[in-house]
Amino acid sequence: MKPPVRKKRSFQRRKVCVFCADSGMKIDYKDVKTLNHFVTERGKILPRRISGNCAKHQRELTTAIKRARNIALMPFSIAST
Amino acid sequence: MRRYETIFITHPELSEEELSELQQKVNSILVSYKGDLIKFDDWGTKKLTYDIRKNSRGHFFLMDYLAGTDLIRELERNLRLNDRVLRFQTVRIGDQISPEALKALKEDVGTEKITKTIERPEPPGGGKVSDEAAPEGGEKA
Repeated sequence: MKPPVRKKRSFQRRKVCVFCADSGMKIDYKDVKTLNHFVTERGKILPRRISGNCAKHQRELTTAIKRARNIALMPFSIAST
Repeated sequence: MRRYETIFITHPELSEEELSELQQKVNSILVSYKGDLIKFDDWGTKKLTYDIRKNSRGHFFLMDYLAGTDLIRELERNLRLNDRVLRFQTVRIGDQISPEALKALKEDVGTEKITKTIERPEPPGGGKVSDEAAPEGGEKA
């Protein structure tokens, strides 16, 4: 993914938040499929600089993921092999 | 009255009787505290992403209702005391639901997606965004 170019850092960067771009997308803690896009393989929440979400939606997303974790729909962590 | 949503997970190997007993209990609390049930969903047995009390699976239930604070307190107290219930979580999803809004909600249970705000400019069933339903709005029949 990361090209070893030092001068030009401007590789393909998603600037807009997915939830802002697509207003039909709702953040719901029961919708694990969507939430799974925003966690790492280990189950950690992706930071905003990676996912490109806006502050508002990132906030909603974090609470949604935490709620989903609470009722065992999503993992707190996945053990590495 | 506020709108709440409770998910509770029960032990995966409960008999029909035990399940209906639990549902009756929940219903009786709703009735006696004047709650208004919008939806009661049985998600069936699902795999848990982590073990809860040594169970790797659990039976999920989702309920969507209007309630006051005393109802929530009583309901959660009961769920907590019941050892058949592995986990529960209540989330507030709406404030101050008017009777008309409640009626609309009950009508489009099933097609409706949970939204945070209840105010909708269009009449219920009118401008519903559904991918399968016919564009003439034939789903109301």
